[in-house]
Amino acid sequence: MNICVCIKQVPDIQAPFRIVDGRLQFDVERYVLNAYDASAVEGALQLVEQHGGTVEVVTIGPASVSETIRKALAMGAERAYHIEAEPSGWDSATVATVLAAFFRDRSYDAIFTGKQAQDTDAGLTGTMLAERLGLPYVSNAVGLAYEDGHLIVTRQGDAGREIIELTLPGLVTISNDMNDPRIPSIRGIMQARRKPVEQLTLSDLGLSDDALRPQTRVTGYRPVPPRAPGRKLEGEPAEVVRELVRLLREEARVL
Amino acid sequence: MSAYLCYIPVQQERPTRAALEVLTHLRTLARRDGAQLAACVLHPAADRFVEALKPYGVDRVYLVKHPVLDRHLNAPVLAALEAVFRAAQPALMALPSTEAVKDVLGALATRVGAAALPDVSAFDTGASITATRPVMAARVLADTEATTQPVLVSVRAGSYDARPAESPSEPDVVEVPFDFDTATLRATLREVITGATGQVDLSEADIIVAAGRGVRDEAGKQLVEELARELGAAIGASRAAIEAGLFPASLQIGQTGKVVSPTLYIAVGISGAIQHVAGMAGSKVIVAINKDPDAPIFNIATYGIVGDLYQILPLLIEEIRRIKAES
Repeated sequence: MNICVCIKQVPDIQAPFRIVDGRLQFDVERYVLNAYDASAVEGALQLVEQHGGTVEVVTIGPASVSETIRKALAMGAERAYHIEAEPSGWDSATVATVLAAFFRDRSYDAIFTGKQAQDTDAGLTGTMLAERLGLPYVSNAVGLAYEDGHLIVTRQGDAGREIIELTLPGLVTISNDMNDPRIPSIRGIMQARRKPVEQLTLSDLGLSDDALRPQTRVTGYRPVPPRAPGRKLEGEPAEVVRELVRLLREEARVL
Repeated sequence: MSAYLCYIPVQQERPTRAALEVLTHLRTLARRDGAQLAACVLHPAADRFVEALKPYGVDRVYLVKHPVLDRHLNAPVLAALEAVFRAAQPALMALPSTEAVKDVLGALATRVGAAALPDVSAFDTGASITATRPVMAARVLADTEATTQPVLVSVRAGSYDARPAESPSEPDVVEVPFDFDTATLRATLREVITGATGQVDLSEADIIVAAGRGVRDEAGKQLVEELARELGAAIGASRAAIEAGLFPASLQIGQTGKVVSPTLYIAVGISGAIQHVAGMAGSKVIVAINKDPDAPIFNIATYGIVGDLYQILPLLIEEIRRIKAES
């Protein structure tokens, strides 16, 4: 089975940042492989280890994303495609348009994406890509198996886990609840240096500026309004509990 | 006249609270802007739900009826929403941000050529359609805007209150022709594994008792369940508690799991990692019970108790029983 995983380099959401004039400013520029995409790479590697095939990755970004590409290669992907572009100001639709152009003349049994990116939490690109390519898809996958030419995908839905049989070629968006992505070994890191990374430009993909016009934009960032400061109840456990219940009934009026 | 359309998922034979919240805000915007307020229901027996929408003042209800819509599967839901969208031609379509909606939003936007503003906590109309989106694990709010029309907006549960209109309406009911050949399905549903039945659904619950890493064993789990039962609450869990194997993944609250905003959220043994807080910071009242006085959950808790949950919960259960017996 040949799988291509779409990966994205994102700012580390744990890193300290400030908001200056409506813009996000990180104290230290710290970038990581999107955690959901790391799970997608891991899920793809596990399938291929069991059933044979190859895992490749594709990403969009400036030269600085090479670190994230190396990470995926060090985990075990065999080849990477780097679509060189400056995607600031793009929305999910633009990214999906670029990826669709990339996949149009390539043939994979399955395309994996993370279910969302941990910086924007939009969760649109995967299903937008599937629709552009006319592929059946399953989103929010927490389990994967391969049976008789189909992927058996476990999806976390609203009411429970849905077991879905997906005809290939197809697309799956993957939850970080599926697995714990492997930490690349020293050997993996060494091997990654020799693995092929193919550079592509937007014009290689036949994309004009017009096709890349986003449909949404961020007009500014602002801090989340802080919650009113709370109260710590201290003292003898039985008294504290009685006081809590009293406050919930008489002050907050929620019981 | 332009139309604003609200998608109304149904659960346990009624429109979900999250859908009625979105519908209520959409009504405010529609009345202000002089737009038609439309709603749509996809269900094998969709007519049944028209009555429940009348108090909310909808002008028109679109119904899609087909047996395949009995359970969630993205291809038919997508086709049905597309059919409604083409019939209603809305300038704005708002949907509650459920897993089912997340499953189709991007594909629907692509199919009908709409801009999509996903998982927003507020939205408005004006020169353009604007929305507020919590991003970076809900540590920051992004003000966003659609630069094209039409627009799809999916809305986090608890962003608005559900309120009936001043006077109920007698809506036009439009049944949208819909045919779906299940033989064309390339993704088919084998089965749905549900958790324990009869439990209160997390995203619809008024009160949630949520368990974290501090709930270490079966005895702790039973305390959480007992407290939830006494309060008529739904049970949620942090990722740590789910990874410990005590709770099913469907109960996960956080950036990856469900986003909830109940009236009362009781965090039991939850430290308050940002990924968890991203899913519950919108709760009206937060109670935190944690051994560690420095746990970040205390920074957002309305009331905090520093203590061992194994000692506090039995007392709390007893106290709630006592006041229930009194009233």
